[in-house]
Amino acid sequence: MHPRRGPRHGTAPCSLRTPLTRRQLRQRQAILSVLPVIVVLLAIRAYPIVTAAAKSLTNWNGLFTSDFVGLANYVRLLKGAVFWKLVRNNFVLLLNVPIQVFLGLVVAVLLHERVWGWRFFRSLYYIPQIISAVIIGYLFRTLFSMDGPVNIVAARLGLMPVPLEWLGDTATALGVIVFCLVWSSLGWMAIVFMGGLSAIPDSVFEAARIDGAGFWRRTFQVAVPMLARVLEYAVMLSIVWTFTGLFPFIFSLTRGGPGYETTTLDYMIYIKSFVSGVNLGEACAIAVLLLVIILALTVVEMKATNAVEDWSE
Amino acid sequence: MSRIRAASGKLVIFLVQCAIALSFLYPLYFMAINSLKSRPGYYTNPFALPRAPLQFVNFGAMVSQFKILLLFRNTFIICAATLALLILLGVVASYAFAKLRFRWSQAVYLAIVITLFIPAQVTMIPMYVLFARAGLVDTYWGVVLAYLAQFIPEVVMLMTAYFRSIPNEIIEASEIDGCGYWQVIRHVIVPTGRAAVFLTIIFYFIVMWNDLFIPMVLLRKMDMRTVMVALAGLIARYTGDPPYQFAGLLLSAIPALLVYVVFQQYIIKGLTAGAIK
Repeated sequence: MHPRRGPRHGTAPCSLRTPLTRRQLRQRQAILSVLPVIVVLLAIRAYPIVTAAAKSLTNWNGLFTSDFVGLANYVRLLKGAVFWKLVRNNFVLLLNVPIQVFLGLVVAVLLHERVWGWRFFRSLYYIPQIISAVIIGYLFRTLFSMDGPVNIVAARLGLMPVPLEWLGDTATALGVIVFCLVWSSLGWMAIVFMGGLSAIPDSVFEAARIDGAGFWRRTFQVAVPMLARVLEYAVMLSIVWTFTGLFPFIFSLTRGGPGYETTTLDYMIYIKSFVSGVNLGEACAIAVLLLVIILALTVVEMKATNAVEDWSE
Repeated sequence: MSRIRAASGKLVIFLVQCAIALSFLYPLYFMAINSLKSRPGYYTNPFALPRAPLQFVNFGAMVSQFKILLLFRNTFIICAATLALLILLGVVASYAFAKLRFRWSQAVYLAIVITLFIPAQVTMIPMYVLFARAGLVDTYWGVVLAYLAQFIPEVVMLMTAYFRSIPNEIIEASEIDGCGYWQVIRHVIVPTGRAAVFLTIIFYFIVMWNDLFIPMVLLRKMDMRTVMVALAGLIARYTGDPPYQFAGLLLSAIPALLVYVVFQQYIIKGLTAGAIK
């Protein structure tokens, strides 16, 4: 530390004229530095959130009708069958998270062995994240269409007497979406886990190997407990993503159909406001509920990981 | 003996990796071979290699009828403007959070980061109405502002983390040498923290290139649309002609893939450090 100096640079009279100390100058610079970001966020993120919450209590149609209706939108939503179908869909689609974590761990441990070509494989597994979900969704829709490759192969192998309409049935359509989500984010998961693994000293795995632990035990009994932090990070991001990031997948795979069988909460906001946009108040109510669900899940997830960590200590 | 076992273990791992790699490559290969077929050619046998004559006409139609180059231009304009603003605002704010301690800086930082959890769909309706009133719907600026607000918290997080590791001594030394606020940013912060700036450019270019929701809602004019918005429309309209659509999907995936192939080391490093999602 060198002794604090006055503003030596610039013109000397300047420091006489402005009685700003270096500290005050810093404060002012700092506030001006963060101001643009704050203004942007207040105008384009905070203001809309508050407006959405306020408008969820009205029968707003985007134009002039905007009468206060109390909790009517929420009551109608929570009493109707459609809303619970959307919630069900979101929770079914959450299945992609445990599958991804499991496969991601396996792939990460395989990569961590650093056999010949592992850098190439690692780069390759991440490619689905570089391709738009619009493209991936359409690709999977084509693969699983009535006259598509999956049905052709299944028929040739004699697995199915009649071609299956994969995207026309609730269970199989949700299954295809989960499969698509796993395929597209597995590489991300594996790379994040690899980052965690490389922080574990090699001697730990070496010792486990000498003690006779096979591949699966090394993965799930040695690596997993040491990856708690990374696991928490990956699981939390994946859960939030499942509730907020599926729009392009749903749009290009099923458009939420048949009916609302594969519509998620975030997709419903789009339908209610930009496809059949008459009751924006209700769309705002769904938006608020979605936000509440995300925040609640985040809290639960954090509590759960803390509990696991306490327990394992 | 144990050496043989270790070697055979490695071989098994290698073969398993090859199998996984195949499952990632096959769908892309499928798209590529079928983009060169005619429509009947696709329906006769989607698994076969395309036969002569190769249907480059599918790609030609993408350029002449679908005007994919115009769509590329639109997307590039939006990406470039957003990235410029993201970096300007991001660098300046992150410098303040990392190096100029100020009152409430922790609280303000936290408030900014919390907005990360707000999905675009939740704010879209009031934002659309706000933009409509301000005349920002059907302009590139509307999309740029929406992206800026969506990505700036993450960029600030990323850059603040990198800038914190810049030693204070360098900044102090440059101030003693007479560097003012902007000169410190230009000569010290940006050059030493260039990895963060670079990562921001690469990563958010790819994210914006692939994004659908924000531009789809804010851009309704046909010749202003981004690539993915136009593709989403194409997919919805001609369901019966996969080769034509595959050609469009492949072409539109190329720019992001190229960026990835060239800069993958940076992206993977950023991912491993948990700096980007």
